[in-house]
Amino acid sequence: MGGPQLLLEPRATPGVMAAKLLLPHGSARDPEGQRGAHQLLAALLTRGCGPYNHEQLADLIEGRGAGLRSEAHEDGLLISLRCASEDALELLPSLAWMVRAPHLEPDQLALERQLAVQALQRQREDPVQIAFDGWRNLIFGQSGYGHDPLGIEADLINLQRSALEPLASDLQQQPAVLALCGQWPEPLTQQLESLPGFASWPPPDADPGLRPETIEERSEDRWHASVMATEQVVVMLGQATIPHGHPDDLALRLLACHLGAGMSGLLFQRLREEHGVAYETGVHHPVRAGAAPFLLHASTSAERADLTLRLLMQIWRELREDCLDEAELILSRAKFTGQIAHAGQTCSQRAERSVQLCGLGLPQDFDQRCLDCLDTVDAKAIQQVADRWLRRPSLSLCGPQQSLEALNRLWSSQSSLS
Amino acid sequence: MPEAALTCIDLWCRAGSADEERGEEGMAHFLEHLVFKGSDQLPAGAFDREIEALGGSSNAATGFDDVHFHVLIPAAQTARALDLLLDLVLHPAVLEHDFTTEREVVLEEIAQCADQPDELVLQLLLSRGCPDHAYGRPILGERSSLMAMTPEMVRHFHRRRYRGSNCSLAIAGAPDARLEQQIRSSALMDLEPASLAAIPTSAAVVRSGRHAIQVDRLESARLLMLWSSAGAADQNVVMGADLATTLLAEGRRSRLVGRLRETLRIAETVDMDLTVLEQGSLITLEICCREEDLASVEQELERELARSIHEPPAEWEMDRARQLVGNGLRFSLESTAQVAGTAGNQQLWERQQDLLHPLRVLNSWSADRLLQELMPTLSSEKACTLIATPGAGA
Repeated sequence: MGGPQLLLEPRATPGVMAAKLLLPHGSARDPEGQRGAHQLLAALLTRGCGPYNHEQLADLIEGRGAGLRSEAHEDGLLISLRCASEDALELLPSLAWMVRAPHLEPDQLALERQLAVQALQRQREDPVQIAFDGWRNLIFGQSGYGHDPLGIEADLINLQRSALEPLASDLQQQPAVLALCGQWPEPLTQQLESLPGFASWPPPDADPGLRPETIEERSEDRWHASVMATEQVVVMLGQATIPHGHPDDLALRLLACHLGAGMSGLLFQRLREEHGVAYETGVHHPVRAGAAPFLLHASTSAERADLTLRLLMQIWRELREDCLDEAELILSRAKFTGQIAHAGQTCSQRAERSVQLCGLGLPQDFDQRCLDCLDTVDAKAIQQVADRWLRRPSLSLCGPQQSLEALNRLWSSQSSLS
Repeated sequence: MPEAALTCIDLWCRAGSADEERGEEGMAHFLEHLVFKGSDQLPAGAFDREIEALGGSSNAATGFDDVHFHVLIPAAQTARALDLLLDLVLHPAVLEHDFTTEREVVLEEIAQCADQPDELVLQLLLSRGCPDHAYGRPILGERSSLMAMTPEMVRHFHRRRYRGSNCSLAIAGAPDARLEQQIRSSALMDLEPASLAAIPTSAAVVRSGRHAIQVDRLESARLLMLWSSAGAADQNVVMGADLATTLLAEGRRSRLVGRLRETLRIAETVDMDLTVLEQGSLITLEICCREEDLASVEQELERELARSIHEPPAEWEMDRARQLVGNGLRFSLESTAQVAGTAGNQQLWERQQDLLHPLRVLNSWSADRLLQELMPTLSSEKACTLIATPGAGA
């Protein structure tokens, strides 16, 4: 049997549903010299496929008041549709056509490439993006996670149809997964395999291929600074860690809750409530198939950047050296439980989590299993995991020149971290 | 919403930035921050710790017209969360030490906004388009106004605005039936009524004109336009404006995206937003493009807006816009937070109705009516236009 693996979650809604189709090859698999290829391909899928040219597809989707997005992230290419329940039968085949018969019209490719280049240029306006780009490049270099899914301008401008064709033909060989959540007409699930586009979808390639190489430690350099004439300095301190679902992952996610979840999080309390040095501070620890970033960040005015960096470095040291006390541990577990409930409020969120778990090779009840064994992860285990995975953080900054020089001196003087 | 894992409690108050008097600029938002520093009963941080220990979360947002504080919480914990939220919002402590620290946080928030060129440009558009109205002022206030504030001034603002008929409470999810009794005996019922004296307000009418500025660190040019529209109370016209903006700029087959981005390829993004407000809604258009394409973009934009005034939308365009607006409304009612937010705001402004009622209003708009009543209000002559290009400046 071919076609995507199907995951269904009927759910009461105001007459709407969400569909998510995940293909497990994302920007981490962009070929050398073609960074941005998967995102460009993803964007092009909505610009003509199967029986529809770009205008006909837009007319079909927008004419039903639906939303269709297709984008690459590091570990996959995700096609998202949300629509009124009664339109599902008519609109779902377009997802299959996008995978099985994309047009890759050169004229539409030229437009999407131009838009991607402009979007990359506009990203340079954001000091947070610049700081993150610097950190990512420092840690992952030229490997899969080393660039934004949008790509690199120098590679993008040379991407032609011939570069995208092999990636496009690979789409239907990948083990795809389709999740539906919400309400849909009764016949939909029985008819899905025979719907246009879904019929005769070939079985996936038995070998999904190796996971992309994403591991860090390519450089001894652990400091990056981008000069920008801003009012604030963006400070990012972090390390590449482990994949989602790794045996140590639950402890690391509890740590992320302790640090960054809610207004009682340690970062919020110490930087904002005690010292008033930042409005925004938090942890970036995304779900990844490979080495996921674990990154503390804060934006602060130039005159308080020194104190902010000291506070972040102090917190980082504490993670490795100190155990959470009982109250902190209980609170972190409660936040973790709450986060799972918060992340499943809409059909779109639920369908996306379903395909994400599948793409990572994790069971559908993975979140429940995590909840079931929360109490077995104690403070000592969390501290040991922190000590194992948070040994060598790297620092990325974006802000005015003078502040960056002072912060460099501070970073260099703190030998235990730098 | 019996399937919802989380219940949302949303407390609204008519205490937005438009309710600030001279010398209070930024106070509504600053007070929103200070509320979370604790009450007479709850020391600083206790509210967040307890809500989050119950598996919930909280947040707040200050707008021009109102402010709201909301908690998302597992249904079984709703009663406790309600007690905590009412105590926090209705009896804030506003202590001297917290006041000083939190002011630093708000100043950081202002600095963060200043570092985002998009935020900066939008605020400049509002200040040029509504120079004499509260909607033209930044909700966050200015450094100077914040530095001149005292804890007593903030307490006075709280006493003046957080009154019975200025507040509303909405709960969505699977709440316990006993909550109603709890609310009837809560601190909400002890609030003094709001003053009956009419609050002087003026309609937000956009001052038309064309302004050109240079903004440091812009990587592409921006063309922005601002128009006035009917206030929130006029739901019929608001829905018409929603249809018009959708027809013009939502999706690849909309007129402006279709022409400027898809066909001529001179714009990178085209976004049109309707912000529904009490003293007159605002419609904004923002186009990002290469600096060298700016003149062509402006010329084509004028041509399309003029065409919209003279040429009625085709039936397919009307159908498409109706479907997009209608489904947008249905998608927005999926989560308890969205439902409580909508219901709480409606109750606050005494416009409670079935949440899907706007769909019926939508049907009263034909292509001819849109052409005659709405499109003429969206001409380039009636807009406040701001052109922002990269360079040393604002």
